[in-house]
Amino acid sequence: MADLRTEPIEPYALSNKVKVKTLFSRIGVIGCGLEAQGIARIASWYGMEVVLVARDQEKLDMALDGISKELNKRIQSWGLTPSEKRAIMGRIKGSLECTAVVDCDFVIEAIPANKDTGHRDLNERKRIFRDVEKVVSDEAIIATNATTIVITELASELKKRDRTVSLHFFVSSPEAKIIEVVKGLYTSDKVYERVCKFVELINRDVIPVMESAGIVSMRLYVALLNEACYTLMEGVATMSDIDKTMEIGLGMRFGPFKSADFIGLEKIVIWMENLYEEFGQQKYKPAPLMKRLVRAKRLGVHTKAGFYKYDDEGNIIAEDFLSGKIE
Amino acid sequence: MKILVLNCGSSSIKYQLFSMTDASDWNVIAKGGVEKVGLKGSFLKHQKENGDKITFEGEIIDHKTGIDYILGVMLSEKHGCIKDLSEIDAVGHRVVHGGETFSSSVFINNEVIDKLEEMVSLAPLHNPPNLKGIYAIQQLMPDVPQVGVFDTAFHQSMPDYAYMYAIPYSLYKKYGIRRYGFHGTSHRFVSKRACDILGVNYNTQKIISCHLGNGASVAAIKDGNSVDTSMGFTPLEGLIMGTRSGDLDPGVITYLMDKEMIGTRSASVLLNKHSGMLGVTGISSDSREIYEAAESGHELSQLGIRMYDYRIKKYIGSYAAAMGGVDILIFTGGIGENEKRTRAGVCRDLEFLGIELDQEVNDKTRGEEIVISSPNSKVKVMVVPTNEELVIAQDTKTIVEELSNK
Repeated sequence: MADLRTEPIEPYALSNKVKVKTLFSRIGVIGCGLEAQGIARIASWYGMEVVLVARDQEKLDMALDGISKELNKRIQSWGLTPSEKRAIMGRIKGSLECTAVVDCDFVIEAIPANKDTGHRDLNERKRIFRDVEKVVSDEAIIATNATTIVITELASELKKRDRTVSLHFFVSSPEAKIIEVVKGLYTSDKVYERVCKFVELINRDVIPVMESAGIVSMRLYVALLNEACYTLMEGVATMSDIDKTMEIGLGMRFGPFKSADFIGLEKIVIWMENLYEEFGQQKYKPAPLMKRLVRAKRLGVHTKAGFYKYDDEGNIIAEDFLSGKIE
Repeated sequence: MKILVLNCGSSSIKYQLFSMTDASDWNVIAKGGVEKVGLKGSFLKHQKENGDKITFEGEIIDHKTGIDYILGVMLSEKHGCIKDLSEIDAVGHRVVHGGETFSSSVFINNEVIDKLEEMVSLAPLHNPPNLKGIYAIQQLMPDVPQVGVFDTAFHQSMPDYAYMYAIPYSLYKKYGIRRYGFHGTSHRFVSKRACDILGVNYNTQKIISCHLGNGASVAAIKDGNSVDTSMGFTPLEGLIMGTRSGDLDPGVITYLMDKEMIGTRSASVLLNKHSGMLGVTGISSDSREIYEAAESGHELSQLGIRMYDYRIKKYIGSYAAAMGGVDILIFTGGIGENEKRTRAGVCRDLEFLGIELDQEVNDKTRGEEIVISSPNSKVKVMVVPTNEELVIAQDTKTIVEELSNK
């Protein structure tokens, strides 16, 4: 009669070679905002186990629910099957403790910005870097998801500083098949190469960039958004027509205003102030319109109003309620 | 002669070790599979000749490591079946796509490997893992001859008017867009086997073979050659399958992409994974569950079954026309071998073609070699369980022996 037994496989290795560990079989993602959700979802989509660490149970549940909803959208648009979704969700394990990333060979810090200030707490991020280093192996890579100059500063908190790198996942368009990978002052070539391998495993292309405020994507985007705001304020065209021009005429997936609402105006204003401080150029100074919207707490899709007005599902319900009558 | 048969998928490796004295005298002395290659939770399931099963758990980072462990288990004192690797005389690989280059199984040398590398664009999901298996054996058992057996090879005998699509000829030249057909190893095996059982000459028969499994295809085999088959450039064409649509007006695809605002990737998932019996019934891609639902009154399941049978029937009719008649009709694959209701549904009202089922025999038949038509039926209708691994082992043996006799 068939006898079902289980044994470890290692003793049966034919060639007694050095045991190689699967690279990036499990990764850690710290945070529970849109960025963290996107990173966890993409890594799990490509077969990696993900440990998602949140500050409290409510945030964790919200994050898992967010990922689940995003995957449902993929099913509705025929890009995924329900059983594939179950497998993807099954690979994501939530935790409230940083120590849960113990087995991960790659940990990405992606804590969300404070809703009121728009800042990502630097001390909190430093603490996370230190806590993660305490539990992971010597080879593990610790990264942050960022567009600001921060990785060298975060790295300096660590004992092993060459293991750090900064990534930029595109939140406004998570399916964009590129990731900006930033080499900090301490980042070793070996670590950088391994991160490039990770990017390849999740089916994206690496855009190698130097550590610089706003890197490529944000630096160019905020300048465009600023100019779009002035164009609108001068009454050259309506908001939706400016977006339409950039979408259809220049092939952007989303025009500057729609993108801004998606990213969150409070974050963009902070980025711009950083850039202004760094480069001292007027073009990075947030247009008054943006500052006015932030003061009015009209921050984008997540507050149901930014440049446009939104319903609960994030669909635009009022297009040009800004144009012509800026209060 | 001991022959190892390997079937490397994107994250799996299936294997069987055959001991063969000649093509008809053989037994399987070990078999099993590795699952989740390169993923967390990978394991190897091994079955010994006496039926004992053991599962080995641990990290299996790539195909080479997987094959390394398979060989290690077969060599081990505790679970093994061979004393030395040199007992394995040859390795046969299942290779999905042989393009227009390979019309039969081949001995694998560097030239063949180069050609297979060139062909990766035709089968981007399947050929790369097949190649990984070949490279792994090259490294682990460098002196052992390897043979490639192609899913497409049997259908290379199709005439041009059957394999060409009526799109600009330049696209055929540019991208190799034409019908290739798949399941060739299975169609070849069951059609030949049917003639052996009936004691008729394979090279004079008109045979229609229905391979009905998760994927499904029909082949028309005349005088020993495949002259048409329902799968085309990809395994998506032809019959309705578990989750694949099969034949569809190409206009539907562009219309849907426009209306649902989806790109090529989602369109491919829609037609390959959301469609077929699952898409129509909304219940399952599994025929047992669909029949169960249909019997308890589920209308869409009843519709799905009617569509499924009808599509096969249309192909039988058209292939009978293409060959100028039919002598043998074969059912194989999981559904073809085990589902009497599908066989009965397909053959209903085909008496005019000379197809007449013996309902009683059909009702009793599950997974065995048997004639299920009535004694008066002009066409012999048969169930012939397929065995692709055996064909791979046989081909490997033949090619390796020919080579050593040269």
